[in-house]
Amino acid sequence: MKITHRWLRNAAISTLALMTSVALMAPDRAQAQVKVGIIAPFSGPFAHYGALFKAGAEAYLASQGGKLAGQSVEMIYRDEGGPNPAKARTTAQELVVNDKVDYIGGVVFSPNAFALAPVITESKTPFVIFNAATSDITTKSDYYLRTSYTLWQVTVPMAQHAAKKGLKKVVTAVMDYAPGVDAENAFKSEFTKQGGQVIESIRMPLATNDFAPFAQRIKASGAQAVYVFLPGGPPNLGFVKAYQENGLRQAGIEFLGTAETDEFDLQKFGDSALGLTTAFHYSAAHDSPANKAFAAAVAKQNKDAVTNYATVGAWDGMYLIHKMIEATGGKRDGDKAMAAAKTQKWDSPRGPVAMDPATRHITQNVYLRVVEKGPGNLLVNKEVQSFGQHGDHGLGK
Amino acid sequence: MTLLANILIDGIAYGMVLFIISVGLSVTLGLMRFVNLAHGAFAMTGGYLASWFIRAQDWPFAFGAVGAVVLTGLLGMAIEALVLRRLYRMPELQQVLFTIGLSFLFVASANLLAGPEVQLIPLPPWLKDPIDLGIRTLPAQRLLVVLTGLLVMMISVLIMKYSRFGIWLRATVDNTQAASALGIPVEWVYALTFGAGAALAGLGGILGAELLPLEPYYPIKYLVLVLVVVAVGGMGSVAGSMLAALVLGTIDTASKYLASDWGSLFYFLVMALLLAWRPQGLLSPGRT
Amino acid sequence: MRIRVAPYLLIGLVGATIYFFFPAQLPLASRIATLAIFVMSLDLIVGHGGLATLGHSALYGTGAYTAGLLALHSSSNPLLGLLAGGAAGATVAALSGLFVLRYQGLTFLMLTIAVGQIIQNLASKFRAWTGGDDGLSGFTTGKILGLATFDLQGRVAFLYCTGVLLICLWMMRRLMGSTFGLACIGIHQNRLRMAALGTEIQPKLLTLYCLSGWFAGIAGALSAQVNQIVGLDTLGFELSAEALVMLVLGGAGSLFGAIAGTALFTTIHHVASNIDPYHWLFVIGAMLVCGVLIPRERWGVLMRARA
Repeated sequence: MKITHRWLRNAAISTLALMTSVALMAPDRAQAQVKVGIIAPFSGPFAHYGALFKAGAEAYLASQGGKLAGQSVEMIYRDEGGPNPAKARTTAQELVVNDKVDYIGGVVFSPNAFALAPVITESKTPFVIFNAATSDITTKSDYYLRTSYTLWQVTVPMAQHAAKKGLKKVVTAVMDYAPGVDAENAFKSEFTKQGGQVIESIRMPLATNDFAPFAQRIKASGAQAVYVFLPGGPPNLGFVKAYQENGLRQAGIEFLGTAETDEFDLQKFGDSALGLTTAFHYSAAHDSPANKAFAAAVAKQNKDAVTNYATVGAWDGMYLIHKMIEATGGKRDGDKAMAAAKTQKWDSPRGPVAMDPATRHITQNVYLRVVEKGPGNLLVNKEVQSFGQHGDHGLGK
Repeated sequence: MTLLANILIDGIAYGMVLFIISVGLSVTLGLMRFVNLAHGAFAMTGGYLASWFIRAQDWPFAFGAVGAVVLTGLLGMAIEALVLRRLYRMPELQQVLFTIGLSFLFVASANLLAGPEVQLIPLPPWLKDPIDLGIRTLPAQRLLVVLTGLLVMMISVLIMKYSRFGIWLRATVDNTQAASALGIPVEWVYALTFGAGAALAGLGGILGAELLPLEPYYPIKYLVLVLVVVAVGGMGSVAGSMLAALVLGTIDTASKYLASDWGSLFYFLVMALLLAWRPQGLLSPGRT
Repeated sequence: MRIRVAPYLLIGLVGATIYFFFPAQLPLASRIATLAIFVMSLDLIVGHGGLATLGHSALYGTGAYTAGLLALHSSSNPLLGLLAGGAAGATVAALSGLFVLRYQGLTFLMLTIAVGQIIQNLASKFRAWTGGDDGLSGFTTGKILGLATFDLQGRVAFLYCTGVLLICLWMMRRLMGSTFGLACIGIHQNRLRMAALGTEIQPKLLTLYCLSGWFAGIAGALSAQVNQIVGLDTLGFELSAEALVMLVLGGAGSLFGAIAGTALFTTIHHVASNIDPYHWLFVIGAMLVCGVLIPRERWGVLMRARA
């Protein structure tokens, strides 16, 4: 290969590009006392999560007067993109080494959460997971905390409820990825323990566009109910539509869901969603002063943001970070912070919650909800029953 | 037996959506030899416009859909005339690069203008009700898609074979300079063909909105799907696209019924085998 | 003599500058180095061989998973991991190449996509082995040559990646400069003529594809070792498409172009994403569109006009 002008120009361009951008990236922010890095998707198909995390986190900060435990806090947001563990690790590394954050929060996708383990362990940075729901994650490092939920946590009570209702034959239909498989295993294990029978377990590929075949399979299975788990966004819409359009309700197959009637997409379903039953840990219609204050704070922050499980995950996550800052006096001390965080109990917008010191996962109420028409003719997830406090049943399985 | 019937019915319905979205790309790729990876962006534009017309502006469904399709076609023509024309002589990789960049711009614009949420196209009641086919019910909207697909194919074939524009198009593709020398307005032919392709994509985006939800990432998410139909069907062949879309749609549906935990493996396996058997596509138009 | 070592010196100089003056960018630089090896391997088949492929990530991901599994179950020796990753990549390239290399143009492109998707679906299905979409994790990377472990700052990772980059660059330059490499370029330029000259086309292309797979596998293994996690995205279509974009940006047919394109694209993505996480796609899209519309000669004019 000849060294030509073209080659020299390429080399020069690349060097220049690297140098310039690096110079651009030199931080010149005012010295905040505490820094919190939030890793969330701000671009791509899951960008709404990032917007909701930001709304929840900033709303909490504003509700505390802009300072946490008397310390000024700087929030640094980094794009998670999609499931890309290598990129997540690099991002976390940069946050810890370059930006010198004291706490990390966020992360929607489980593979990305797993990838952070070596970074947070070595740097002793507490990491509060705002969403990623695979049970195993918190076991990979002593510095994981989670304020969202796990599939085992919300599915076990649903399975018990189904058995109590007298349902004997249920078919499960989940999206074929780790949380979905978790949900399927959780339901199967608990429902059979209660004496029921899961006659078929349907796995729907992540890239599914057309849910009609699955709806037909459910119809043909002869089950009395279908237990469902799908990730938020377009798959929810697609499946619920398929459930309606293929006449499953008329065929007498009950819908037992988890996050499908999530407030983010709920209004899009229209009246066809009325009556759908789900078991989950947060409903925007939860009737409590804490929830009302939460909704008001978020609306003030971003009037387009809905209050759903993502927003409340971020809100409670910031509460935990607040308590950790309080315990360490604003200084960087991962172990002291973790010790304080593990014993927290508080009144969250979702209900009374507590951190489980063994699993470092949030123990919370799981509610049975039904979709109804609420004030302003909008659809809401009305909580009809509380299953009581549940922890993460999925560890050790 | 019911299983087979189910697979066929759902498969054909799904395949028709794929056909309508992909036929525009087959036309531009085969007839104009231009690698347009931004094709999905036109489908998305059509869907977004329709959603805005019908939801925000309260137009009736048919008006909104037609309006969106026409506007998308005009947008396609404008982009072709102003920008894409310079790229015809460039090597393929440059065309790939450019159209990917164009896709990104569309994605970013959609995110900026309408946010990251899914855009819904509200269906009128006569489309929402299920129609009883005897063995099972099918939503009316799916039937509309099937009928539209057949209509699109018939009209395309008629235009290509029997209309003056069709003759102009075929002449232009065979030998642009000779056609131009004969007085055929080749610039207009290119612009109109590209515009028609874009309009068809827009139509596919609108009709397929139930299956392929309209969100900013649409062009990139469904790029592979569309490319597969075009490659298997044969570039430039409308009938080939139809055949490929139906076959692939049915295979995908069958895989969902029978072996859903293997994901889309069988879809791509069948695709690879079909391509290996007929590298030029199932029904290539006779030209290389 | 002086000219021949200039490129390595330049890379070494850039690397040293980053190491000593911009240590905050070490993780990013490591990622660029790893991706650069991948894009260079893509250049072998696209730029030199003339076969545009969108399924190259299959070879990268295979190498990554192989290295990860090796570290998890057997030995955490990084060099062994690299070799295993490379061998796995080459094997998959050989097996798929026997099938796909019979075709050209769009057919070849689509078939590479199909092979890539099939492999990704298989990896997802056998989640007991690969960890599915949670990713393969829980393995550590041993000391390199018994010397150093990976540190949080990313110094060791950076030196490791840059070292492997330089070695791979040297190997690829030797390969493409040899008679074998020239024959491949000849096939790219005119297949018929090469066949008339007596060159056996298929074996040459297959060998090139295997070599390309070898280097892609090494890049994947490197990524697995540095990040200590392997996700399904390493086998995905997005990675293949991004690599192709980086290659064309820097200039297909030139290994240095591959490195330059990778550095440029990744850096701009990183910077734009940090400045505005929501709208960085505008920057990338505009860059690609302008990069194609404005021919390369004009860039020189623009740069001179600015100076």
